[in-house]
Amino acid sequence: MPNFTEETISVAGGNLQVYKGGSGDPLLVLHGAGGNAGPRRYAQALAEKFTVYLPSHPGYGNSDRPGWVETMQDLACFYTWYQEQEGLENVRAIGFSMGGWLAAEMLSMTGHAFSKVMLVGAAGIKPNDGEITDIFIISPAQVRDLVYHEPSQVPEWDEMFGTDPTPEQAQQAEGDREMAIRLTWKPYMHNPRLPAKLGRVSVPTQIVWGENDNLVPVECASLYQQAIAGSGVTVIPNCGHSPQIEKPDDFVQAALAFL
Amino acid sequence: MFLMRFTERAYVNYTEEDVRNSPNEAVRLTFSNTNFDPQEGHYLYNMYLDEYEYSEEVGFDGLMLNEHHNTPTCLGATMNLEAAILARNTKKPKIVLLGNPLPIFDNPIRLAEELAEIDMISSGRLVSGFVRGTGVESLATNTNPLHNRARFEEAHDLVIKTWTTPGPFRWEGDHYHFRVVNPFQTPVQKPHPPVWIPGTGSPETLVWCAERNYPYIFLETDPQGTEDMKSIYAETAREHGYEPGPENFGYLVRIHVQDTDEKAYDVGKGYMVGNIGVGRIPLPRDYASPVGYGSRSDDPRFLRLREQIRSDPFRVGGLDSAHYDEILDSKRWIIGSPETVISQLREVLSYMRPGILAVWTNDGSISHEDTMRCLELMGQEVLPALREIGEELELTDPFQKEGVMPGLTRV
Amino acid sequence: MDVFYFTEMPYAEFPESEAEKFPSMRLTFPNTYFDPDTASGLMNRYLDEYQHAEEMGFDGLMINEHHNTPSCMDVEVNITGGILARITKRAKILMLGNMLPTSDNPVRLAEEIALLDVISGGRIISGFVRGIGIESWANNTNPIHNRERFEECHDLVVKTWTTPGPFRWEGNHYHYRAVNPWMLPVQKPHPPVWVPGTGSPETVEWTARHRYTYAAFLTPLEVAKNLFARYREYAAADGWEPGPEKFAFMICAHVNETDEKAQESGKAFLWRMNYPLRGPREYWSPPGYASRAGAAAVAARRPTPLHELSYQELQDRYHLVVGSPDTVIKKLRHIRDELGVGSLLLEAQGGQLSHADTMRSIELFGKEVIPALKD
Repeated sequence: MPNFTEETISVAGGNLQVYKGGSGDPLLVLHGAGGNAGPRRYAQALAEKFTVYLPSHPGYGNSDRPGWVETMQDLACFYTWYQEQEGLENVRAIGFSMGGWLAAEMLSMTGHAFSKVMLVGAAGIKPNDGEITDIFIISPAQVRDLVYHEPSQVPEWDEMFGTDPTPEQAQQAEGDREMAIRLTWKPYMHNPRLPAKLGRVSVPTQIVWGENDNLVPVECASLYQQAIAGSGVTVIPNCGHSPQIEKPDDFVQAALAFL
Repeated sequence: MFLMRFTERAYVNYTEEDVRNSPNEAVRLTFSNTNFDPQEGHYLYNMYLDEYEYSEEVGFDGLMLNEHHNTPTCLGATMNLEAAILARNTKKPKIVLLGNPLPIFDNPIRLAEELAEIDMISSGRLVSGFVRGTGVESLATNTNPLHNRARFEEAHDLVIKTWTTPGPFRWEGDHYHFRVVNPFQTPVQKPHPPVWIPGTGSPETLVWCAERNYPYIFLETDPQGTEDMKSIYAETAREHGYEPGPENFGYLVRIHVQDTDEKAYDVGKGYMVGNIGVGRIPLPRDYASPVGYGSRSDDPRFLRLREQIRSDPFRVGGLDSAHYDEILDSKRWIIGSPETVISQLREVLSYMRPGILAVWTNDGSISHEDTMRCLELMGQEVLPALREIGEELELTDPFQKEGVMPGLTRV
Repeated sequence: MDVFYFTEMPYAEFPESEAEKFPSMRLTFPNTYFDPDTASGLMNRYLDEYQHAEEMGFDGLMINEHHNTPSCMDVEVNITGGILARITKRAKILMLGNMLPTSDNPVRLAEEIALLDVISGGRIISGFVRGIGIESWANNTNPIHNRERFEECHDLVVKTWTTPGPFRWEGNHYHYRAVNPWMLPVQKPHPPVWVPGTGSPETVEWTARHRYTYAAFLTPLEVAKNLFARYREYAAADGWEPGPEKFAFMICAHVNETDEKAQESGKAFLWRMNYPLRGPREYWSPPGYASRAGAAAVAARRPTPLHELSYQELQDRYHLVVGSPDTVIKKLRHIRDELGVGSLLLEAQGGQLSHADTMRSIELFGKEVIPALKD
């Protein structure tokens, strides 16, 4: 197992918490609205081939929020800043859920961010038929029930959810939710102008979705595919919103095949 | 025929010099509110409300209100509050709002709630008109004029949906976003309060109204042009499978009556400082119609329609700068003794054939006493005569129309 | 001592148990339970009761606003404020209040309140509130900005009232290039401002800093005392001493001829203490709505939620005062003296209290209770 270290660097005047591990070409992993779950099993597996960078978004975990980071577009600006500073431009990247939306916003701003990118259950585009589930009006426990299609097949379930959170962890989770609300409240979890702006994208893009996604309708996979010329779609069967957690082996296989 | 009474609720305690000394010599938008005396406002508001309440007594079917911002020419900057008062203090007449400027609202759900509350308090007497607002409304609320029509249409769709679709539901539009649309209060009138649209003849709006069977109220438009505009409405109506009648059209006109023609002529001069303001200084173009506010549609259909409308000698505020006698001669304002007014109106009504007549009884510097006498004479002589003329000319109004009532969405 | 009459204008016209079928009786409780004809009668009944309250001698009439809930039919406090401004002659009109953070247009809000002050001839008390979390949902205003918007909206409203127009405002949440509404309040420099609270320390401090009146809402007396003490501390640090006019207390109150009759009719208040106060945390206080410190303080303010208290407990803890005029006088004097408040805000119609019981209660308040509180 590759070792991950946790480091704190200064970006845009604030501290940024980054998990880093493995060896090889850099791979930037952008977490979703729920927060940074750290180097889980999928990240360990990817670190066999790549140097994985897993930052906590500003306002999440132990990362500071520079006061100007209010919107997803601000966050995308922040990350291109981070990339330039750390020499992490033109790297491979994976974005999960809201992190997928973030990656898409970055793609719409610059051709220098990524060499290849995977968008996994990505928010950001409004579905035509269904709706992106409102995760703020229900409790975190209810959200978790919706995230996983079949909890029994989640290998890290006990590790992740087996014990009650400590008061510090609860505070952290509350802070993460606040940041998600700050970034995505209105229009909720989408940018009406994003699909048009993705017309500029020319880097190889793979769109990955759990077949039974209860948060972001699988319909959005094809909307992303339509928006990004030449992109491919992988649908992972019998799987919910977070394939990297629910079916890490299938997910890693798909990721390595593409990246 | 539906007869409703209107005044813009003017404030005239300032001078032409005050306006001349103001930014861009404009009486609206930037004419400083230091010229406003709240004590005088207290007196005026209650006086105007008294007059509206008296209008019910003399027999009007409707009390019409409008809304403008940052201007002494119309104190109805928050018309819904006045409407609520009339909802509580009157019993019979419709309360006709012409109308709420939809594009300036950032929260159409709240507007739907306000209007539902007024409909409730009035036991179902609200007529909910909507407007785009003049350019001044966009500037006063800092709403981007480029989005005016798009916001008008989206806000309209959302208000109607809020009134007619059981909540909770979600709305992710271009300009408005809500995840829990579910105001507990919905209007008394089903499927929703009637919607009437006032205007001066934008072809886009005429077509939009005809598509929805919403009555269109012509605001002091000239007879020739009105005929053209009605034909644009009618054409669209036919495409949508119905033949519009008088119930689809209204006409707003300044009508003032006193015991004699001479008295009326003198008193009627008070109109000259209503709407345009004391000093009669035309508004800068960039206030009235900021860049982006007007249509630049190159849709050949609208270009053709625009050309089709014959030009009005008093077009674009012309009534406000024309000479008093000129206006009276053209019969665009109708001022006189009851006999004079009735006979002139017979002529106008025969030609315009509106099912709804908005009677703009007073404005500007016309005094309370003269207004009350005018209303009294209206009740005693003019309104009964107009009702007869209405019957004779078969000027059906929306409330007399059987089947789908104009102004209601088919849900 | 000023005594205000208040009702939330409830719509209690369906079996309460229906609320069990939904997460809450607010926000997502379907509006298909609403019958507008019934509501029309109710709204006008409540307005009649307000008029009666003025006639019987209440010093002021208090109104409030909530969204998406049968517990409060008034969705626009300025609408009812306008009506009261016109149909009453003497009473102060306390709007507690307008929700600042959910307002997208503070200039219009300033205009509306100014209009009410103009129509009423200067009888408006302009309360400002942050709104509970449900209001953020119903208006889709990001709860994370709640306090920032409250403060910026307040600053802009007050500036609109006090600074000659036209002027410009380029803030963080609000932007105008021609602030110049042609409507200004009669009261100078502007109508009095009151702010309600249930425990948030930031709100007490902010209210004290602006020297506004702070109204504690349905808190235990001890909590209200603590909040008022904090206010006095802030004021002292700022070099001034607040009088009783800076403090108000809101409570449910019902009076009838005898204690027995009152205890029976007063049960109607249990409706408003129950289902309307239940619901998931995400509705009431979505993440970001309250500061962490504020959330902790609010959680501590009522050891037991009101909807878990019995009728007797509600009375023992002074959330609800019920009785004959003598009993109610005794209890209200106790509150007045304990808290040192200048105003009592009495929710004297609540829940399912009938029109007849409400009118009788208003009359007894006016004839017996209020004069006794003035001594």
